[in-house]
Amino acid sequence: MSKKKPISRRDFIRWLGMAGAGVALTGCAKSDLPSPILTNSTQTSLPVISTSSPTQTIAPAGNTYLVVSRGESPAEITRRAVEALGGMHKFVKTGNDVIIKPNICTDYHTFEYAVTTNPEVVAELVRECLAAGARWVRVMDAPFGGTSESAYRKSGIADAVTAAGGQMEVMNPAKFTETPIPQGVDIKKWWVYQEVLNADVLINVPIAKHHNSAGLTLGCKNLMGTLQSRDLIHENLHQRIADITSLIRPDLTVVDAYRILTQNGPTGGNLNDVKLTKTIIASQDIVAADSYACTLFGKTADDIEYIKLASRMGIGTKDLSSIKIEELTV
Amino acid sequence: MKPASWQRLRQITQVLALGLFIFLFIQSAYLGQSSLLSGVFYRLDPLVAVTAMLAGRLIIPALVLAIGTVIFTLVFGRIWCGWFCPLGTILEWTSLHKKKIAVRKSEPSSFWRKIKFLLLLVILVLAVLGNQTLLFLDPNTILTRTLAAAIWPELRYGTFSLENFLYQFKFLWPVLDAIHAGLIVPLFHNIQSVFIAALPIFIFFLGLIALNWSAERFWCCYLCPLGGLLGWLSRYSLLRREVHQPCKQCGLCNAQCPTGTIDPENGFRSDPAECVVCTNCVKSCNQGDVAFHWQLPHWKPVVKQSYDPSRREALVTMATAITGAALAGIEPIARRSPEHLIRPPGATLTDFESLCVRCGECVRVCPTQGLQPSLLEGGWQNIMTPHLVARLGYCVYNCTACIQSCPSGAIPKITLDEKHAAPMGLASINRDRCLPWAFNTSCVVCEEMCPMPDKAVVLVQGKGQGQGLGQTGNAELLKPHVIREKCIGCGVCEFHCPVGGEAAIQVYSLPGNKPPLSGI
Repeated sequence: MSKKKPISRRDFIRWLGMAGAGVALTGCAKSDLPSPILTNSTQTSLPVISTSSPTQTIAPAGNTYLVVSRGESPAEITRRAVEALGGMHKFVKTGNDVIIKPNICTDYHTFEYAVTTNPEVVAELVRECLAAGARWVRVMDAPFGGTSESAYRKSGIADAVTAAGGQMEVMNPAKFTETPIPQGVDIKKWWVYQEVLNADVLINVPIAKHHNSAGLTLGCKNLMGTLQSRDLIHENLHQRIADITSLIRPDLTVVDAYRILTQNGPTGGNLNDVKLTKTIIASQDIVAADSYACTLFGKTADDIEYIKLASRMGIGTKDLSSIKIEELTV
Repeated sequence: MKPASWQRLRQITQVLALGLFIFLFIQSAYLGQSSLLSGVFYRLDPLVAVTAMLAGRLIIPALVLAIGTVIFTLVFGRIWCGWFCPLGTILEWTSLHKKKIAVRKSEPSSFWRKIKFLLLLVILVLAVLGNQTLLFLDPNTILTRTLAAAIWPELRYGTFSLENFLYQFKFLWPVLDAIHAGLIVPLFHNIQSVFIAALPIFIFFLGLIALNWSAERFWCCYLCPLGGLLGWLSRYSLLRREVHQPCKQCGLCNAQCPTGTIDPENGFRSDPAECVVCTNCVKSCNQGDVAFHWQLPHWKPVVKQSYDPSRREALVTMATAITGAALAGIEPIARRSPEHLIRPPGATLTDFESLCVRCGECVRVCPTQGLQPSLLEGGWQNIMTPHLVARLGYCVYNCTACIQSCPSGAIPKITLDEKHAAPMGLASINRDRCLPWAFNTSCVVCEEMCPMPDKAVVLVQGKGQGQGLGQTGNAELLKPHVIREKCIGCGVCEFHCPVGGEAAIQVYSLPGNKPPLSGI
């Protein structure tokens, strides 16, 4: 026992260095919770927005502003809708990095239950983006039920997108970054998936469905899938959805209303709640697309709080009478 | 084959077996549809098979394969321990002082080798009494549990932390993205988990490794109940180590023996119950005097060893085991289920606690990592059994991963429809914490998350008026209610409930279906 040497200085320093490196590594961990948002009082009344000028990236007057396309084949009506807006090459340039954001909220049901976006619609958009010269097309969502991989598979979107030449991306937790929301009314910053902001083109492909808290889940609501800490969005759901929409601004919104869920949304699960409406709504204006989609449920944009708020913030227009709508049947 | 080739073959087998164990562990992740191959090692584990069938009082076909291991042991001896056991391999590799003769002197007395036999006896007696508490000491369960609830999540956390750090540098993104998509997602599936019992499980595992300081493969020689069972069978094996005369008594074989069973005082002979057939001694003998030989046609059982439990010791041990079973019977859980002890889906259909072998396979595959190994949530007797902590992870509506992975059938092989018809618990709203009920604040997250096609949480117009938080004007508040008949207790509402700390909607245990003090 007594023969054991005491620890040498070199060893001591070596161990100290290793322990120090370990402590330093703990600093690498990112804190999970958004700290500045956790308040018990949230803004209750909307301030009048005067500073934020309506930065509408909208086609000049005379061009088709919103397309409603109806027909038997989901892919075909999608193709025709984009064509009527001027074709995909209007949005996607050669070499662009494109992200398509469908609604893949859970891995509970297949797409026939109208809970997740129709895979044929997504696949058609992937094909068109590639044909327009996109460098790569990624498809992603962050499900709240099940894992990303299982939900991608269950929805049928993984198979359809891969066959079309696109790529499914499992959102990387490391790439949600706190991002300022300059026009935000209630929230001034949030954790947003950076790829969605960095991509050259973002195409938003919600499914139109019933949603108890939001009324309906449509284009603006679908953008919640690009955020972290979504449970906290619910504290002031409608205003925060509008705030997020002011930041993310998809280049194109294609509302999948081939099948719509009229009850028990957003998770569904009952085919009796599904209505076959065989419609695609496409527009550069996310608010207008959402506004039109409301009519399929016998509602107007004024029934859905977040659409009203987004329109008031100047993100788009909810007023369907003031825009040029092209309706086509395939 | 030369002795060195046997050694090499053994090492290769060990690497392959451990590699297979880890591969099966990694691939047993829930991906929606893939079938799960995990549990192979449990099917080969005779201790698990015997106790699960005794305690569960039924024949479990999936575990009958363990007979193969028994036959193997009766032919070759304790070859499982020396050639296959993944935990044994890890303990062998982490033994620091190989090949030092002096170390033998610091080892505990051989007297203590009886512990593993006595532990085995306790486990068997308890199993007869319907109790599998001590199965958390089976080497396979130890390794699965430690990997599932400590080492793998630690690796994952470390990887994600490093990744987070590196993602601060934008120019690294293309490289990081490639690594993330190609390596990290396939390995970790972006599941981020926390475990209540991570620290004790990890310390226990470190403890097993630390025991190697006292003697090489200390756990295997002195404690392992599976080693005890296989060792006892090895006393009857057909292949045994023999020392031929004239042995020069040089002691080289003794120095090389990982289990220290070669006895210089007894002509360097060994006990087949302790020998793991590593063949180091054959290699070390310069004279070629040591060899393994078939015992046919002159087979007879091995003589008893000084450290074998005496009849009196065995009787005392059995009495102790019975006392232990009686103690288990007077734990509070024998009368009432703890309020939040939610078992995996379908567990209410079986005698779950008697069938569960505490292996942690379900903990491993649970995609939300809401299934957690228990500490004392289910009483001392249910330590390391799985339970759902809905605040940390919910039961995914259409997932059957734990059902597929359970090796003993404690979680029965039910279909998805049967799963949806077998509630795990019942959600209940705390109106003093719920935002609409207590604070007049609109919130419908629980209703939104409820996966039932016909929602088990419904919203009813309340009398309170909306005050802010998105509620404009005088719109009436919607308040959630749980429909008892529809709720299956999956806990997704509790998981997503946005109030801080304890959720305002929580899943509670179902009324117990066992009569109080049901006895044996």
